[in-house]
Amino acid sequence: MISYNLQLALRSLKQRVQLTILMVLAISIGIGLLITVQTMAYQNEKMPLAHKADSIYFIQADNRDLGADPIVRQPRMIYLTHRDAKNLMAGDTPATAHTTVWKTDIILNSLDQNIRPVQSRTAVTNHSFFSMFDVPFLYGSAWDKESDNNGAPVIVLTKESNELLFGGENSVGKQVRVNELSVTVVGVLNDWDLGRRFYDESYSTARHDMAFISDTFAINNSIMRNERLNCLPQDSAKRGFYRTNDVQGLINSECSFVRLWAQIDSTSKAADYEGYLEQYILTQKDLGRFPREMNNYVTSLYTMVTLANELRGGRNPLKYIAPLFFFVCLLNAIGLLLAKFMRKSNEVSLRRALGASKGTLMGQYLLEVMIIGFMGGILGCVFAYLGLQGMMRVNVYQSDYSVTVDSLRHAFAMDWIMIGKAFCIAIGSTIVVGLYPIWRIINIAPASQLKSQ
Amino acid sequence: MEIRPILLSMKRNKFLSMVISLQVMMTLTVLSIAVSITAATLSQWNMPSGIDHDNIISVRTQFFDPQVNLENAIVDDINRLKKIAGVINVAPNKEIPFDAGRPSRVYLEADEEAAGHHTNFFEMDTNGPKVLGLTLVAGRFYRENEVLRSHDDDKTSVSVVMLSEDMAKELFGEKSPIGQTLYLSKSSEPAQIIGVYSNFMNGESLNGRGKSYHSVIKPQVTWSSGNNPNYLISVDEGTGPSSFNAIKAALYKTPGRYIYGVELLKRTQKRMYDGRGSSGAILLVVSLILVLIAGFGMAGLVSFLITQRQKQIGIRRALGGTKWSVVRYFILENSILTVFGILAGLALTFTMALIMAQESGQSFLQMDLVLYCSLFIWAVNTFAVWLPARRAARVSPAIVTRGL
Repeated sequence: MISYNLQLALRSLKQRVQLTILMVLAISIGIGLLITVQTMAYQNEKMPLAHKADSIYFIQADNRDLGADPIVRQPRMIYLTHRDAKNLMAGDTPATAHTTVWKTDIILNSLDQNIRPVQSRTAVTNHSFFSMFDVPFLYGSAWDKESDNNGAPVIVLTKESNELLFGGENSVGKQVRVNELSVTVVGVLNDWDLGRRFYDESYSTARHDMAFISDTFAINNSIMRNERLNCLPQDSAKRGFYRTNDVQGLINSECSFVRLWAQIDSTSKAADYEGYLEQYILTQKDLGRFPREMNNYVTSLYTMVTLANELRGGRNPLKYIAPLFFFVCLLNAIGLLLAKFMRKSNEVSLRRALGASKGTLMGQYLLEVMIIGFMGGILGCVFAYLGLQGMMRVNVYQSDYSVTVDSLRHAFAMDWIMIGKAFCIAIGSTIVVGLYPIWRIINIAPASQLKSQ
Repeated sequence: MEIRPILLSMKRNKFLSMVISLQVMMTLTVLSIAVSITAATLSQWNMPSGIDHDNIISVRTQFFDPQVNLENAIVDDINRLKKIAGVINVAPNKEIPFDAGRPSRVYLEADEEAAGHHTNFFEMDTNGPKVLGLTLVAGRFYRENEVLRSHDDDKTSVSVVMLSEDMAKELFGEKSPIGQTLYLSKSSEPAQIIGVYSNFMNGESLNGRGKSYHSVIKPQVTWSSGNNPNYLISVDEGTGPSSFNAIKAALYKTPGRYIYGVELLKRTQKRMYDGRGSSGAILLVVSLILVLIAGFGMAGLVSFLITQRQKQIGIRRALGGTKWSVVRYFILENSILTVFGILAGLALTFTMALIMAQESGQSFLQMDLVLYCSLFIWAVNTFAVWLPARRAARVSPAIVTRGL
């Protein structure tokens, strides 16, 4: 029966083939745009470090002045001052590990000038960073705890910067210069499938950090703080000076710029951490610090990313346009489908007169509609692939070729989930819109159309 | 007229009529949102630059080695750069046209409540205006002895400044600004305005506020470690890209520095606009495809309706209806449906625009554009009907006699 229906459906699709093509095109173009936009959003909102998203926590405390605005958007909240981050790490804490992150730009160069200097986005952090965030190493390893304590001149490079500076060979133990300071390479990262750079809350997809140096080393040598400093009013005027020059002044100031991440292994421990944090802030309040009421946050990575997604989501107008666009395409297809079916009134009424049941006819036309949806899905995936490739190229162009196609590819990749989604939407929606035309045609009275012939 | 029979036939073809109207409604919504956003995106786009951006090179560098004597390095750099073939003039500067950073404020009065006026400071020596090819509108250019050369930490402020034409207009209206004073920050001594120069593009952050040409030139060259001495270099017509390597080699002769980039200002200009330009283009292409799909769909539906009504058309023709009256019938029918769709579409557009405005915090809908979109959709639909309707008009009156 199915093969008979299939035969009939295929024959019917072949009749007036232009209409079929038009329908498939309409559906597939709609699907193409929809899946392009959805894949971009899906890749953009993917959880980084998903397997640890519930055990990595971001620590914030509100050290702003009394007149500051109420907190509406937690991800936009300030970070910690350097000394608060240090104190929290040093205390008797429920967390198993801590790491701090702040950003800088350094120039990597060699003393003998045989390579041209390289500008490098750099994360300033500690040794726990690499274990907490599961960073893969190609050569060597992270620096040890001792180096964090004494500010040893060590650096971890990435595959990319190692390629630029050492031609990709094992550079562990070799010397390189950070600005004017000589440092030793202790490790080189392998390709790190990070997705988005969550740890400094930039959520950048294509521009990765090229080096990692220790906080103690950076502070001792006053490496420039490429961060927005949020200061209490008494320190605001000196912000510019604190960024580049007066590192000791910055550390003693009430200026926040350090992100503190903690690894906390269970939810109950996270509650303990909240208590620990509150206790710490209370002791600081006794010293006359933290003028505002208590506003502490111990937020899991999962929540941080979810909040950030909400905050960053609403920008793309295509997000709104694509579903409407798809709907127009569907309306188009349904009109054409109705037109096509109505032409077959004669045939249907004849078959009905000869004893075909409504169910049989329904099955046949449903099959026809599903085939159209399926073809729309296939072509739609092709269009979506082309759309994503196009969007990626536009993105490279927009950044004035400062990001490469390779570094962006992961953000514009279609996976089986999205392909499956494309087919489900294509077939599902064509069935829904096809129901009315099908209902109309199977309800034609038997033999009614034969009279006038 | 024909309105009654048209309404009757619509009633018989309720579903198809609804599909047509719905389609118009959705198309209008998408089109007007897309076109409004594009118009907003492309406002202040590709404005005249006011400078010969094809023949000016910008160099962004930074010294990372604190041992370098910066004052000497800048003098050496300029001397080396001037020796390169094709180079006409070199000026050290901080901000780069098309790429000026966050706006600063200048004040007409120093008191607490004085309102600030947004601007970008361009710090240059006497070669700066020459490199950019600025023309004098009023007053005079500054002289070599008025240029302040100092380390960045030295907080002395310049005593004279020049304004761009638009800046002068905002601050002083039609009055002459020459001889007036301007506070470059609230705490500093005021500077005297000695001249007004022709407008040139500052950068995206002020361009976005409709202040594309607001700038102030400070006759000043400053240096500090880790801070960029940048250069603007004017070159002979067309020699630009070929001198990039020579420029890099000349600058790398001083060790301890990093060169971020050497490029023509043309490219800086491209970078300033192309983010907005390409997202505008994407929206327009999407809208165009949508209109095409809707148009094709409409033509398909109408040609179906026409085959269905062959007999009816034949009768009209046999009873003396002209070809034009047949075409008119279909166009009228379609226009009524389109108008319904447009009315519903306007309602949907406003709702969607409201939702989007709430999320993004700014309204973007432009009423005149929405009106043009409605007219455009009507025109496309009418054309899509006209093609098959013309065919219908050729139905021979004799068709009626068959099958009776």
